[in-house]
Amino acid sequence: MKRAIFALAVLIGAAWAGRAISAEEIIRAMERNQVHDTAEADGTLVITDRFGSRTKTFKSFSAGEDKMLIAFTNPEEKGQKILKLQEEIYLYFPEAEEIVHLQGGALKQSVMGSDFSYEDLTGEKGLLSLYDASLLGEEELDGRRTYHLRLKGKKSGVAYPLEEIWVDAELMVLKKANLYALSGKLLKDLVVKEVKRIGGKNVPVAFLMRDKMKKVSSTEFKLANLRIDQGLPPKIFSRENLSW
Amino acid sequence: MRFLIALAWKNLSRYRRRTIITALAIAVGLGVYLWMDAWIYGVKLDSQRNLVFYEMGAAKVMKASYWKDLGSFPLKESIENLSLVEERLRPLGVQMTRRVPFSGEVFLGEGSLFIRLEGIDPVSDGRLFRLKESVEQGRYLQPGEQGLLIGAGLAKDLKAALGDLITVRCRTRQGAFQTFDLEVVGILNSPNPQVNRRYAYLPLSLVDEMLQMEGRVTELVLFFSGWDRPEQKVEQIKTALADLPGLAAVSWKLLASDYFAALRGDTIGNTLMLFLVFIIAAVGISNTMLMAVMERHREVGMMRALGMKDGQIRLSFLLEAAGIGLIGALGGLALGAALSFWIVTWGVDYSSLLEGMDYGYRVKGLMRGAWHPEAFAGAFIFALLASMVFSFIPTGRAVRMQIAACLRSQ
Repeated sequence: MKRAIFALAVLIGAAWAGRAISAEEIIRAMERNQVHDTAEADGTLVITDRFGSRTKTFKSFSAGEDKMLIAFTNPEEKGQKILKLQEEIYLYFPEAEEIVHLQGGALKQSVMGSDFSYEDLTGEKGLLSLYDASLLGEEELDGRRTYHLRLKGKKSGVAYPLEEIWVDAELMVLKKANLYALSGKLLKDLVVKEVKRIGGKNVPVAFLMRDKMKKVSSTEFKLANLRIDQGLPPKIFSRENLSW
Repeated sequence: MRFLIALAWKNLSRYRRRTIITALAIAVGLGVYLWMDAWIYGVKLDSQRNLVFYEMGAAKVMKASYWKDLGSFPLKESIENLSLVEERLRPLGVQMTRRVPFSGEVFLGEGSLFIRLEGIDPVSDGRLFRLKESVEQGRYLQPGEQGLLIGAGLAKDLKAALGDLITVRCRTRQGAFQTFDLEVVGILNSPNPQVNRRYAYLPLSLVDEMLQMEGRVTELVLFFSGWDRPEQKVEQIKTALADLPGLAAVSWKLLASDYFAALRGDTIGNTLMLFLVFIIAAVGISNTMLMAVMERHREVGMMRALGMKDGQIRLSFLLEAAGIGLIGALGGLALGAALSFWIVTWGVDYSSLLEGMDYGYRVKGLMRGAWHPEAFAGAFIFALLASMVFSFIPTGRAVRMQIAACLRSQ
């Protein structure tokens, strides 16, 4: 009897060791690296289109997935702020001393003319609430072993009904993402250029988003001096604080 | 009275130079005002026609929440009970066509542009709007085809030609990104520059499929007689739809806010012009009559000594002023008519100057005037009355003078 139980335990252990990781597990591991209790960083946004390049600098603050504040520091937009509270986006314009609540179709507008929309800043928690994920296999990308996943939108209202992502198998960090329209046409791709180890997490700190339907259109996003999980005063994520 | 009129006329002849100069100032001011009025009137009539028959229709029925957020084309706010709405409107003598407007980015080669796209029923739309007769190259849309009809200005901006495949990127009703490739089947060159530069049309059935509208539409465009004064008909429409909650009936006048902003600006300009004419008349007439009174002290004294009453003396001067006003007004009408004839017949072509500009009016560049008889009648009466009104105060001096003082003056 004891021998039978021992043999069964060995068999189960062996089976567990050889079990392939699931798409959901990969995404959860990836998101654990992306979502922090608090985060603070200095950022640069380089927007390139056929008219040239322009650079915006900002300070960003976030608490979980529901709260984020971006305060622009470059001369042209100094003092302008974007506040995200759950699903709501508020813009602050210092010259007009006005707070604008973005709703409906306005959320589809581009942020500062970049390849990101305000809608990209909102959204429900986590990819798994929006997509059904399937693991297509493993591939090598820039010398790194990656998991190639396909994400199919669960609801008809998902902005990008189909996505393909490549996740670094070792670091569990996004390497690349292709975003598709309902027709299957490739709209945008996102490439992570740099990953840093901060606070025990592998965090993407530089990435490039390209509009694949345009010959020249990209947005490079870089974070510097990133501080994770070091606490932030909750009051900075409030409408009242926008005008300070 | 006849004597006073004869006296006034005699005095006008005596001081011919002064009369002519004052009347000329009034004539020029009035003539220029009438010319500008005819010009604006013509542009206004053309714009209204082009707005209604090429762009908006006479009125639209839509969901109230759609109307509130019109600029962002909220596809989710589609008209409920559409067939019932159409059934209610038919007895009112309105003609209808269904449309789904949406915004999208169109790509061809290296270029892309954000434009307004309209999903249309080619059959009913072709009957009511005049886009079909504006097709310059290719042909009008056919139901169910995967084709695009674009304006000549848009074709130029995109460097598009017939047969080119244009990619449209937009959002579905639920908000998902969608793209589709469409062949340019027709290029239209309508009298409405907005339509030419910013609009593209495709069959409603295709929009329904690609944007997942599921048979829904967001706008019901209406045409009816008396479209230039739509207020009454819109009230009838609202009454007919009163028990269907959440709907809005909006006339083209409310939809064309940018046009009315431009019109208001020009109307203010024209009013300013009229005010200047007002000042010219006031200053000119007042000065002339003041001089007339001051020069004719002895004459006034003589008339009073002979028994003329104060009222009669004043009236004689007022009639003289009216005479100057009459000559000026007639001259102004003649000048205004001559200038208006030019602007009505040939117009002024601003195409090269206005190309690519959004100036609110729905006129391509050749701005023609239109005869405005009411303005002519109004200007004539204004000149006459203004002349008499502005001479009232100066001529008051005549009746305040003492007879002896008048007869003594040199």
